[in-house]
Amino acid sequence: MGEPVSVVDGLALLRAAAAARYPDVQPELPARSRGVIALFEENCTVCMLCARECPAWCIHLESHKEPVPPTHEGGRPRTRNVLDRFAIDFALCLYCGICVEVCPFDALFWSPEFAYAATDPADLVHERDRLREWMWTVPAPPPWDEGAGPAPEEPG
Amino acid sequence: MTDLLPGARWGRATGRPLADVDPGDWLASATALRDAGHDYFDLLTAVDEQEAGFDVVVHLWSVPGRTSVLLRTRVPRAEPRLDSLAGVFKGAAWHERQAAEMFGIDFHGHPGLDPLLLPDGFDGAPLRKDFVLASRVVRPWPGAPEPGQSSAEAAVGRRKTLPPGVPAPGTWGSP
Ligand code: SF4
Ligand code: SF4
Repeated sequence: MGEPVSVVDGLALLRAAAAARYPDVQPELPARSRGVIALFEENCTVCMLCARECPAWCIHLESHKEPVPPTHEGGRPRTRNVLDRFAIDFALCLYCGICVEVCPFDALFWSPEFAYAATDPADLVHERDRLREWMWTVPAPPPWDEGAGPAPEEPG
Repeated sequence: MTDLLPGARWGRATGRPLADVDPGDWLASATALRDAGHDYFDLLTAVDEQEAGFDVVVHLWSVPGRTSVLLRTRVPRAEPRLDSLAGVFKGAAWHERQAAEMFGIDFHGHPGLDPLLLPDGFDGAPLRKDFVLASRVVRPWPGAPEPGQSSAEAAVGRRKTLPPGVPAPGTWGSP
């Protein structure tokens, strides 16, 4: 036995030991952790709201219009927007969550994935394929906290 | 509480009482609120109200009473000076350093108004609304393309959507 350890120091040592197990042991993160933003591309209508609201100017979207032939005889041809690029620059992102909140089509989600450090900031620009892969790491929404009020979108 | 501050105009903001006082009553008002129980200093910040001057706001708490109060004053743009609250709340010293560097407000009687967050030699007060943020000028706004447009098309397009909070070029910056 060495020197006696105070309770406070002892707790700090325990905590340090728990942290030291990473990366062999993955941390257990709360379901609402803001690790990375995932894109569910199928839901994205290229409305541009997220890119316009982002205070860090770090969402880059490119799209073009494609003709949609009439669905029935005599119908009018229409156009639809097709996404060409969706990228988030996580070197600039401030993890505010405004884009996730503002998306009217449920195309953006928080994932707790955090292990995407890079040595070059340019490598923190993640394109649609990577953003979509993160979609499969998005956890189910956690149950309501005890005593939580009704959700604003729920009636009554 | 309203009779604590003679001359204050009382209202409400963000669900709590708000007292507007003259800059000359700033120090006395903060002291009176502290002595009456709102002795937990939460924050001090400023708002650029352009021609009208700068609003300086403090938020104070009473921990046992679980109540809070906002105290606000307005200093003129030409001479933004105010008494420091560092002698009333020690923690206000940091917030005043930040308000000083970000808004260019002078806090009279502060123990040392050194920049807190800005790098050495930074010129200007970046939270003033007329301050031109270089990073907003040199980079194109990624929100400019319309749905169905590429950024190249947006750059030459006639109709321009402007970024929120950033005035149109030519209407901002120091004259
Ligand atoms: S979290 Fe905030 S900063 Fe990051 S991409 Fe979304 S809106 Fe932009
Ligand atoms: S707000 Fe949603 S739907 Fe609109 S462009 Fe962004 S991700 Fe797509």
